[in-house]
Amino acid sequence: MLWILLRNSALFCRFHAMTATHPHVHSIHHHVSAAAEDAPFNLDNVIDRIAHWLPTQGPIKDFIHHNTLHAVQHYPFHKGIALAGKVFGARSYLPLADYQDLYRQGRIKDFAIDWAIAHSHVGHKGAESLRERLFVDDHTAHYPPMSLANHGIRNHWLTHLEVDINSLVHPIMFRLLANFLDQGISHWTMPKPNESFWDCIRRLAQNSFLPLYPFHEAGVRDLLNLEPETVILTCLDKIVGSESLYEQYLLELLLAHPGWAGMVRLIELDPKILLERRQISLKEMLAVELMAELAVVQKKRGQHFASIAKLPNLNKLPLLSDYEEKIVIPLRLKVWHEAMEFSLHAELLAALKPRVGQEMAKPQAIAQAFFCIDDRECSLRRHLEETHAGIETFGAAGFFGIDFFYQGFDDAYPVAQCPNIVTPKHLIRETNLQVEEDSVSVADSFSALHIKPHSLLRGWLFTQLLGISYAARMVWDVFRPGSQLLKIKKLSEVDSHTHLHLLRESDEPTEDGKLLGFSFSEMADKIEGLLRNIGLTKNFAPLVVVVAHGSSSTNNPHFAAYDCGACSGKPGAPNARAFAWMANHENVRAILGERGIVIPDSTYFVPALHNTSRDEIVYFDKHLLPQTVHQLPVFQQAMQEALEKNAQERCRWFELGPQSPSYEAAHEHVLTRATSIFEPRPELNHSNNLYSIVGRRSLTEDLFLDRRAFLHSYDPDSDPEGVLIVKILSAIIPVCGGINLEYLFSRIDNSIYGAGTKLPHNVIGLLGVANGVEGDLRTGLPSQMIEVHEPARLLIVIEQTTDILDKAFGKLGALTEWLDNDWVRLVSCHPVSRELFYYFSTGWEAVDLSMIGDIPEDVCSETITAGQKATIPVHQLRRAS
Amino acid sequence: MNLLLLTCQFLPLAGLLLIALLGNNEKSIAAISFWATHAMGLSILALLVVWAKHGFSGYEFEWFTLYEHGSYRFPILFYLDEVGAAYLFAIWVIFSIIVRYCRNYLHRESGYKRFFLTIFGFAFGLNMVILAGSIDMLFAGWEIVGISSFLLIAFYRHRVQPVRNALRAYTVYRFCDIGLLLGAWMSHLLFHESDHFSQLAVLFEHSAPSPASYPALLLMSLLIFIAASGKSAQFPFCFWLPRAMEGPTPSSAIFYGALSVHLGVFLLLRTTPIWSYHIFTRLIVFCIGLLTVVVASISEKTQANIKGQIAYSSITQVGIMFMELAAGLETLVLFHFLGNAFLRCYQLLVSPSIVAHMLRVEGAIDTEMGFNTQNMQNYLPVSIRDTLPEVLQNTLYVFALQEGNLERLVRSVLWTPLKRIGATINACKIWEKLLVGGSVFAVFGSLIHFGLMAAHFMAIPVALMMVLASLSAFSQKHSFVWVWNAIAMSCLLAAVAVWLLQPTARIDILLFMTGIVPSWLLGLLVLSKLPGKEQFADSPFAYRAMAETYPGLAMLLFLSFLGLVGFPITPAFIGEDLLLYHASTQHAWIAALIAISFVINGIAGARVFLRLCMGRPTEICDHAEITALQVILQSHK
Repeated sequence: MLWILLRNSALFCRFHAMTATHPHVHSIHHHVSAAAEDAPFNLDNVIDRIAHWLPTQGPIKDFIHHNTLHAVQHYPFHKGIALAGKVFGARSYLPLADYQDLYRQGRIKDFAIDWAIAHSHVGHKGAESLRERLFVDDHTAHYPPMSLANHGIRNHWLTHLEVDINSLVHPIMFRLLANFLDQGISHWTMPKPNESFWDCIRRLAQNSFLPLYPFHEAGVRDLLNLEPETVILTCLDKIVGSESLYEQYLLELLLAHPGWAGMVRLIELDPKILLERRQISLKEMLAVELMAELAVVQKKRGQHFASIAKLPNLNKLPLLSDYEEKIVIPLRLKVWHEAMEFSLHAELLAALKPRVGQEMAKPQAIAQAFFCIDDRECSLRRHLEETHAGIETFGAAGFFGIDFFYQGFDDAYPVAQCPNIVTPKHLIRETNLQVEEDSVSVADSFSALHIKPHSLLRGWLFTQLLGISYAARMVWDVFRPGSQLLKIKKLSEVDSHTHLHLLRESDEPTEDGKLLGFSFSEMADKIEGLLRNIGLTKNFAPLVVVVAHGSSSTNNPHFAAYDCGACSGKPGAPNARAFAWMANHENVRAILGERGIVIPDSTYFVPALHNTSRDEIVYFDKHLLPQTVHQLPVFQQAMQEALEKNAQERCRWFELGPQSPSYEAAHEHVLTRATSIFEPRPELNHSNNLYSIVGRRSLTEDLFLDRRAFLHSYDPDSDPEGVLIVKILSAIIPVCGGINLEYLFSRIDNSIYGAGTKLPHNVIGLLGVANGVEGDLRTGLPSQMIEVHEPARLLIVIEQTTDILDKAFGKLGALTEWLDNDWVRLVSCHPVSRELFYYFSTGWEAVDLSMIGDIPEDVCSETITAGQKATIPVHQLRRAS
Repeated sequence: MNLLLLTCQFLPLAGLLLIALLGNNEKSIAAISFWATHAMGLSILALLVVWAKHGFSGYEFEWFTLYEHGSYRFPILFYLDEVGAAYLFAIWVIFSIIVRYCRNYLHRESGYKRFFLTIFGFAFGLNMVILAGSIDMLFAGWEIVGISSFLLIAFYRHRVQPVRNALRAYTVYRFCDIGLLLGAWMSHLLFHESDHFSQLAVLFEHSAPSPASYPALLLMSLLIFIAASGKSAQFPFCFWLPRAMEGPTPSSAIFYGALSVHLGVFLLLRTTPIWSYHIFTRLIVFCIGLLTVVVASISEKTQANIKGQIAYSSITQVGIMFMELAAGLETLVLFHFLGNAFLRCYQLLVSPSIVAHMLRVEGAIDTEMGFNTQNMQNYLPVSIRDTLPEVLQNTLYVFALQEGNLERLVRSVLWTPLKRIGATINACKIWEKLLVGGSVFAVFGSLIHFGLMAAHFMAIPVALMMVLASLSAFSQKHSFVWVWNAIAMSCLLAAVAVWLLQPTARIDILLFMTGIVPSWLLGLLVLSKLPGKEQFADSPFAYRAMAETYPGLAMLLFLSFLGLVGFPITPAFIGEDLLLYHASTQHAWIAALIAISFVINGIAGARVFLRLCMGRPTEICDHAEITALQVILQSHK
């Protein structure tokens, strides 16, 4: 799942491209001070620089996980988060007491503290005193530092003037932006076709009988005739007064509402992310906002208010030009955090020690199953293998290597079914096999009546006549959840009687320039790519099930964050269906055979979809299944049992769920959870994700990983040049790393990096959620998704030698930044000896695990999880069979 | 039946107290709220059944007289008729649903206990409003509903915006309380012993000439309309309702979707005899409804957020209810109320589904504006044919976007002048104030001394000073102690003014002071304990988060705030009523001044409470320790 990357990386590159046009490239921040001194003020450059700090979370319909602090990713991890803390006013670590508690509970080990101190570059004596200081009580150490967002020149100025400008201007700005960008909630659309934000505001302000407050005020009215850039400079001159502070003022202005500012910036760079395109730029938004600020301040304080440059005590405030030098990394917290991470990482590393005794030769598998790398599939794979020894599983990114736009037969728009950095060239349409009557039934239109409120007459009739029946409906939904809400068909519940048009019949592109379907050789390319990645080129079982995943939830605007990230927050069913269809086609198999991958005629591919919240599975296209494949019932039965076990394992996290060992009760519970309108946690998604393991299944098949690992299959022997591992890493680092860091930062400061609690969220313009009617858009993850997460960085373990990995890293490009700056941790595990080496930007370091004893063992998953409420260390499974 | 009335009324209170005392964890709170809710539900059902057997007629029950002095009586009086029954039914259904919904929805939320406490407080107040037998009782319930609404809007107290919107809603509520406060004393004045709702209808039926003069009834009707429009977000107060959607979604659903928003309609239904006798007052109700329908239905068109859109649709329907009321269609209104309450409640509860719905089901955006410019062009002179339709369209859009500009209108008409006067007073030097005050007293004193004026006219300067003290509190931003003292001073002056008017009312005035003085002193004590007092003047806009850092002090401050503004937890509540009663028997306009002062005091007090108790604790890290540590470590290298 989650392959992200995203659009954000794409943007990222664009940001870099922009700054690259400027003379000082390598440090954006040095560049700030330099620019302030010598270059004349250049608005475009300044906007590009400050926009770098804005969140890059797109419209809520496709939720893409990314590193929340991408803005400081070119710094080492600890320095970067300290800097971000100083800009945003956010916490950078958990409270000291939390780490001390973890130590008392035995989750942070002494050897890990030693390791962390050893890696913090303090001398021998320093290490001793540091160690002592770790256990001192201090309840303020983790608090955010003085920051630009909260203690900058703008706040100082507003306090001085005693004008609460945010409360006066923000509601106006948010209304204008929300209505301008609205994707379909509002009945009347604000912009005319192809009208830019600035022109739209100008039209409404100058061409209406009613004044558009506050743009009609005498001081600003004439500014509307100018260009946005001139307006910005004019307003800044009056408000700030000194050119050297312009940049800081603009940045602080944006930091007061990062959600909207970030959304505007994303749309400016890539208008395609909206279904209804809008023309807007950060410059236009700033011009409008500065005008409103000027108007409000002039109204309250007259024409001659004190500008920022004239404030007393200006020199005592944090200045953008020097804040980078003042970064302080809280050493104790840093050491505690690294100690926690190393303790958790060591649990896995210790389990990878070479096995004693000879591996038994495996019997030929009766079925093979492909899963997404998603950590939620980790436990299902374990249960499936535990249930039936003849089933072999593989992990790969959940779009299964096939990227395309997909339009279901009842979808209004085609959506991209692939990670976001890929721009698909193909369009796949779905058609219905059964002919259905096209008329909308009366019952259907009635059942959706309440979705959109309508006012007047219709509303009156409706409330008068039908309103009372909603008492019954509410009672039903609240006391007997489980029935389907709103009659919205979940994408994950695809009807099986539909057909995908996969084969291209003509090379004529569609009007958007897309190719309608794939040719056979393109299909063979896609299939070959995936099979080679996961190392399955021979020994095909008679049945191969391609399991995509999605998640159904109710009353949940963040639903896209629950689906498959490798498919841009959609369920992966179309990809699985496409993969199976292609891999089953004789022409494709013929081409593959020429390329050395021989799929026997007896092998058949079946697509399926795992619903991760309900723990259900749907098999598709069964009508195409030949009679000869008799393994499917066996597989289905094993899968059903595994799903129930999986549901039961998940239930240990749900405090209000059944804590009994009964599978039925557990399964019942997860079903209800997914359909209750009052359930803010249909599932806990990627909470506690921690490991990403790239290697053969034999490395992990007898480990209990507690749903914490992204598992990607990879055969080290087939990749002597490190070509495949580069492909895999370029997906895993941004995708899994992005998920991991987004969870980490949302957990560490949920009110700044996260979206706060879900409960008061209000959907704005189908773009995002805000608190209340006039709040800023909230980015990041809501507290219900991250509250049980242990915020530790991702550990990527690759089953490959360091030499080959070194070769591969040379080809990783910009992504090495993640590794060299420690935004993810990486360990190489030797394919034969299983020696472990930690990657540092300075070189490989052998991992010494002599301090760690044997890892705990048990016979099966259920006995490990019974009665456990928190995360469980890695266990060795000694299966009875 | 009497017993059932009492259980309906007091079970929510019992639930609240039990949760406050025994609710230590989520499980016990959930259990208590479950039982309390269902016990209340059962007693409501039983009550309705018994009442139905009784023949669906109005039923009154006087429990006991809380206070009696001279001709003044404050009985605890309950009344149930078909209006009350319809509302009780809605309360039962919606409250049970919301409590069940919140059991899971609020799971692990940090304010779990606070939420259930407030929601039971709300149910208590609501039942009191519905079952009240007289306007005094109704006012008590009205206040409780107002405070719990205020607390739930500010539920997420870490963020500035909910706190600000809580104050906004409270301000409107408070302003509309003028209507009820004055309405209460007018009902004493006009109907004497017969201000029971049960007798109103009878009163108007039998006396061919109405029981009070036409202007008095008109005034009273207007006061009631103000109260009703404010609570139901009708013209010109439409703006606060969407902005009040700051709490957890179910609390928005029960307050602003379902129950609280229909209380204005309830008030009008209850007092129908008073205002419906004359076509003019009916017309006013109709116009309020009509204006609301126009403004709200246009504003709704440009709401780009789902909760705001539901809020405006709901306001529109309530506006239609007002129009129906004016037309005398009470039964239709009851059905309309039930329909609207259930529907909006449901819509709010499922509002997060809008994304899934719009993208997967509708998938189309309706971009049509309100009118067709094409047709219009044909009828216009050539010179403006191309511009006028567009200008009209823009105008309509701006109107909708700014929601009829009602907020700025209300603000500039009601609050800005008061703030200006207050600011002017605060800007005066102390000797200027003494000089002016002294000379005014001297003038009045000498006039009275020389027998040119009756002694009780001394009340005039006192009452004026009272108003000025309130205004001073209202516009003071820098010193909380000042605000607090000014409020107390204003109450004191009100008491003095009434004493001057009616020296025999000493006992009643004492009763009032027994509520005010302890609250004032308690508040001062809390303020004096505040850490970092000296920084107050530096950052007037900072929220100081005492509820988080000093929960005990914050609770005390909250209680003293409630006491000081005459919330029905101290004798000051009855005292307030008594003051107005005595004042109005002499000079009605002084009573009006006193009511206005009380209202302004309430807002000023609420602001102090919010500034001190709400907000996110300032958590700035003192890096000194860390830096020191780092220096030590570096030197060891």
